[in-house]
Amino acid sequence: MIRRFSESATPLTVTLLPTIRGVTGMTATRNLSSASVATAGPSPGRGRPGWANAATLRNGLFSGVIGLAVLVLMAAVWEGYKALGQATGDRLLGIPFPVATDDLSMPNVGTILGALVEPARRGDPASLGVYLLGEASVTLREAAYGLVAGSLLGLLLAVVFLHLAPVSRGLMPWLVASQTVPLVAIAPMIVIWGGKAGLPPWMAVTGIAAYLAFFPVTINSLRGLKSPPQVQTEFMRSVGASRGQLLFWLRLPAALPYVFAGLRLAATASVVGAIVGELSAGTGRGIGRSILTFAYYYSNGPEKLYAAVLVAAVTGILFVQVLNLIERFALRNRQTR
Amino acid sequence: MPESGIISVHGVTKEFNSATDRSVTALTDIDLTIAEGEFVSLLGPSGCGKSTLLRILADLTPPTAGTVQVNGKTPAAARRDRDYGMVFQQAGLFEWRSVRRNVELPLQVAGVAKEERRNKASAMLDLVRLEDFASHFPWQLSGGMQQRVAIARALSADPKILFMDEPLGALDEMNREHLQAELLRIWSDTRTTVVFVTHSISEAVFLSSRIVVMSARPGRIAANIDVDLPYPRTAATRTTPEFFEKVTQVRTVLHGMLAAGETS
Ligand SMILES: Nc1ncnc2c1ncn2[C@@H]1O[C@H](COP(=O)(O)OP(=O)(O)OP(=O)(O)O)[C@@H](O)[C@H]1O
Ligand SMILES: [Mg+2]
Repeated sequence: MIRRFSESATPLTVTLLPTIRGVTGMTATRNLSSASVATAGPSPGRGRPGWANAATLRNGLFSGVIGLAVLVLMAAVWEGYKALGQATGDRLLGIPFPVATDDLSMPNVGTILGALVEPARRGDPASLGVYLLGEASVTLREAAYGLVAGSLLGLLLAVVFLHLAPVSRGLMPWLVASQTVPLVAIAPMIVIWGGKAGLPPWMAVTGIAAYLAFFPVTINSLRGLKSPPQVQTEFMRSVGASRGQLLFWLRLPAALPYVFAGLRLAATASVVGAIVGELSAGTGRGIGRSILTFAYYYSNGPEKLYAAVLVAAVTGILFVQVLNLIERFALRNRQTR
Repeated sequence: MPESGIISVHGVTKEFNSATDRSVTALTDIDLTIAEGEFVSLLGPSGCGKSTLLRILADLTPPTAGTVQVNGKTPAAARRDRDYGMVFQQAGLFEWRSVRRNVELPLQVAGVAKEERRNKASAMLDLVRLEDFASHFPWQLSGGMQQRVAIARALSADPKILFMDEPLGALDEMNREHLQAELLRIWSDTRTTVVFVTHSISEAVFLSSRIVVMSARPGRIAANIDVDLPYPRTAATRTTPEFFEKVTQVRTVLHGMLAAGETS
């Protein structure tokens, strides 16, 4: 139960925070040492594989309920804070509130949700929600392509590093550096180069998503490739296995849970990358563009910006959930880790 | 002991971390010949170099000096030709593969076609009496069952030699004695040559046709003891006076060796 809870809660926090931070553009640099290395070590004591049985269904329902509860709780805190501010004039015991609670700074949750069903533009029959979902799907596609490309690159790098330790030692500091350079600096460069090369803007955005996605996959995959115990590597040696057989039949399958841990981080990173990339790309579509537009016209309808951020967060969660499903399927025969 | 054994070791010495201040001489001047069909146990106190000797035979670590022949070849060639199978103290099964696919692994490495692999794996699982667990996964089996799968896996490519490094060391007494009997049955069914590392005197006596007693620091061969108890040996064998006599003889050699080591 505890495991399920953390599984459903992680995407929420992980997705929301970077999304909002990435959007404000203030801290697109992420804390690498803590964020990029997830451990996938075995946790003993759990039995059957969890794929499509009654217990799984119950657990899934439970995590859904928890996820909704978090959403409701956040809305309640938002409304409570706002109501308190309104009642006290944004001052409590002489201390001013850090964020003003007027409708411009903090629109009502009801207003935000209401904005989703109202028309996106005057005279446009489509609602803002449908419009935002359309934009979000563009972003998701860019993020998904970026995730696939970045992960393949990341996995390839891990395999190269495994076999060529000196290359790994020489290259690793540069990889770390590549991830600590602020994304807001890199993104426009990639967009400009892409434009000069005559590529459509979405390709540059995908490139930026891939740029953020490869690193956690490399780090985690490398750890996974090194995870088989000595008995297993020596057994492969004892049956005269070639390097390729050792890689494909032992190291890669053993690395799979680690690769997925990396992919999960990469998935959130690629969504952030895609959104920030859209901010830098002058033209094109996507939820990032919408956020920028609504931020620009903030005073005309603050609730629209929050609605867009909400949709961005929800799509991020969906993205990671899809990945979770794939992971469950791929690891269905393993002892639950 | 015929000079042309299936395994022959001449003047083998093994030093770890040579030329450093942490250098350890694990083996000195080992001579050993093992004939085809023998069941030889390497017995001795902890740290006397039993595993090291076995690992040299299996080409998992190179000797510092001396020559080794396995099935008439260098250990490296024997390893590549899958002339031997290896069982370790931990089963070390691949947890993402079913029991059957674990057993198929050596055949897969050898490039054997799928159909033949399946048949062979089934036969091996019959041999270790796990035919009903073919589609289970390793983590669904008990420790003893996992070790039996490891034995089936080691035998699946029909090796002429079986190397075992304390394969039953992690098991409880009951399981252990049961698997010892199974192992003898498998040995007589397959006619493989077995080199078996253990530090249990009764295990060595029950299983082996010959016990090679090793002494520590530096690791060398202290005695060769033939175990002339007739096969097939069963649970009843353990209660015979001859069995006790042999155990006592081996124990005396071991203790005499330890005492000599302490005074010198
Ligand atoms: N990889 C290694 N590096 C350095 N020293 C080693 C290494 N492997 C073994 N040794 C040393 O070689 C000696 C013999 O070790 P070995 O593992 O062969 O003993 P053993 O007889 O198998 O003992 P046990 O019964 O405890 O398994 C020991 O002193 C050990 O410290
Ligand atoms: Mg040992």
